[in-house]
Amino acid sequence: MNISGEQFVEALKYLAAGLCMGLGAIGPAIGEGIAAAHALDGMARQPEMEGTLLRTMIIGQAISESTGIYSLVVAIILLFVV
Amino acid sequence: MFERLGQKLILKLQLGPLVVSLDLITVVMSLVVSLILILLALWLRRAIPRDPEAPVSRRLAFLSMAFEFFHESLLGGFSPELAKRLFPMITTLFLYVLFSNWISVVPKAESPTQNLNVTMGLALMVYVLSHYYAIKTKGARVHFRGYLEPYAFLLPMNIIGDFGRTLSHGFRLFGNIFGGAILTTIVLGLTGKVIAAMPVVAPFAFVFGTGIGTFLNAWFGVFIGAIQALVFALLASVYIRLMAT
Repeated sequence: MNISGEQFVEALKYLAAGLCMGLGAIGPAIGEGIAAAHALDGMARQPEMEGTLLRTMIIGQAISESTGIYSLVVAIILLFVV
Repeated sequence: MFERLGQKLILKLQLGPLVVSLDLITVVMSLVVSLILILLALWLRRAIPRDPEAPVSRRLAFLSMAFEFFHESLLGGFSPELAKRLFPMITTLFLYVLFSNWISVVPKAESPTQNLNVTMGLALMVYVLSHYYAIKTKGARVHFRGYLEPYAFLLPMNIIGDFGRTLSHGFRLFGNIFGGAILTTIVLGLTGKVIAAMPVVAPFAFVFGTGIGTFLNAWFGVFIGAIQALVFALLASVYIRLMAT
């Protein structure tokens, strides 16, 4: 079976998109888990601070999520644009 | 004038040397969201009684609860004067993004926030407004000298950080909503194929499809949509607050 150059590029494109999304999702997942764990810790210790802690946790998670979003955007570009 | 780009209908307008392209579905869905918001506002406004002594109706209680929520959670650390000025803008931003995310639950409808141009436009608006309020509260000299802090040679870093913040602000909303839409389509298509291949459950494919579709829409449309709208409005208020104080 002969694989032409275009097919090779096509195959590598899908491989790259999968690797990009899979590896890029590890970091944000761990980071958001740590943020949630510590916020829960704080909530258990001081239940009256729940509102503030929840808001700060969501902001922190949203910011640490942005690297995952970048990899999603790169994966989308690889799949649909390149 | 009208062109097709993939599956999308594009309206091309020639304005002098510029060519302006509009995605018609996004424009129409955006107008629908605005219409829903206007009707909701008019309906809720009718609940406010003329004399302040009248008994509290359900709608009025809901309205005051919503106002308190927005004041507490979106405009937490602002000075009272600035909070009063920013309240309409931040609340509108939140409601617009929330309803744009939620409208994807309706079959065939597409959220306006699935389009990068919409989210980037909102993020750019927040960026310009943050500079406006910073100059207004601190004065232009103090504000632009802030870019030389803590050391003058960090100026490029500060400028890049500024743009990166706006870029990630727009990309975050777009990525979440668009990723959810792609995932919903792919998973629904895959379950259809898998179930059709199985001999026993194939006649009940419709039931499985409806169940999974409902779950995916509830998760990505309603839950993630609400969280992302809150995050978008919160980050907008935090960015303006960081610049202005």
